[in-house]
Amino acid sequence: MTNTVIGSSIVIDGEISGEEDLVIQGTVKGRIVLKENVFVEQSGVVEADIETNNIEVSGQVTGNIVATDKVEITAGGRAIGDIKAPRILIADGAIFKGNVDMDA
Amino acid sequence: MTEPITVIGTKTMINGNLEGDEDLTVEGHVEGSINLSKTLTVEVGGVVRANINVRNAIISGVLVGNVEAQEAVHITEQGRVVGDITSPRVILVDGSSFRGSIDMGDFNIETTPGEIQRSTPVTKYQEDGEEKEAPARAPTRVRTVPARRPAARPAPSRSSRAPSKSTAKKKSTKRKKPPAPKVRSVGKTRGKKKR
Repeated sequence: MTNTVIGSSIVIDGEISGEEDLVIQGTVKGRIVLKENVFVEQSGVVEADIETNNIEVSGQVTGNIVATDKVEITAGGRAIGDIKAPRILIADGAIFKGNVDMDA
Repeated sequence: MTEPITVIGTKTMINGNLEGDEDLTVEGHVEGSINLSKTLTVEVGGVVRANINVRNAIISGVLVGNVEAQEAVHITEQGRVVGDITSPRVILVDGSSFRGSIDMGDFNIETTPGEIQRSTPVTKYQEDGEEKEAPARAPTRVRTVPARRPAARPAPSRSSRAPSKSTAKKKSTKRKKPPAPKVRSVGKTRGKKKR
């Protein structure tokens, strides 16, 4: 079982789409469209609009997030942008700026 | 996950520019451009439509685009490549297919192939030490196919090498002949067919 992993020294400028889990340790700019889970790890930097099923932010995300299931910003995670998802979790210690929309 | 390993999985598609300082394995699709200071591996099933600039490239999947490698380009048995390759070392394995031109840089045409001096040592290539044993011999043979002298003598050397190849399978015996002319005419096919 292979997922997609964007390593810490990788910079992607463009669009990522797919149907499998995506782990981001590096930098992604542009757009992410996934049907599975996105993990933005501590070293990960995302400047992109994101459409996904699930997303867990432990790194930095700048952009709007639309999730069909859940958005989780962990302690240490930073997110700037609007979030739309039926379930949104913001942990103690997380940094967030933007609108939240839970109407799903 | 301390060791950086980037993998573009089978069901992932990237459209845009990708750059970095670590190894990259593509099992899915990438379109655009790739700039790496390390090794790009396109696995079987992987499709890359991009101009790439890397140190090493190992192609087992499909690559459409121009390749510039500082060290080596290795097209394996399953590899399919259309585009121009610029690299001091280019390895086309029996069974691989390639259309385009190859530029291995400047070297003295008078020197016999085995004596060609190169800045990059042969053994340095397989830094991972995985998959193929990268026979030091293989690159040497392929060097007899300089892009500017397409009519060299790769055919005999290829077929004589094939039986001793550890990876010789039913497939490779069957295909022993066809690849040879392809390689030999590498410099000429360019432009003949629609690219």
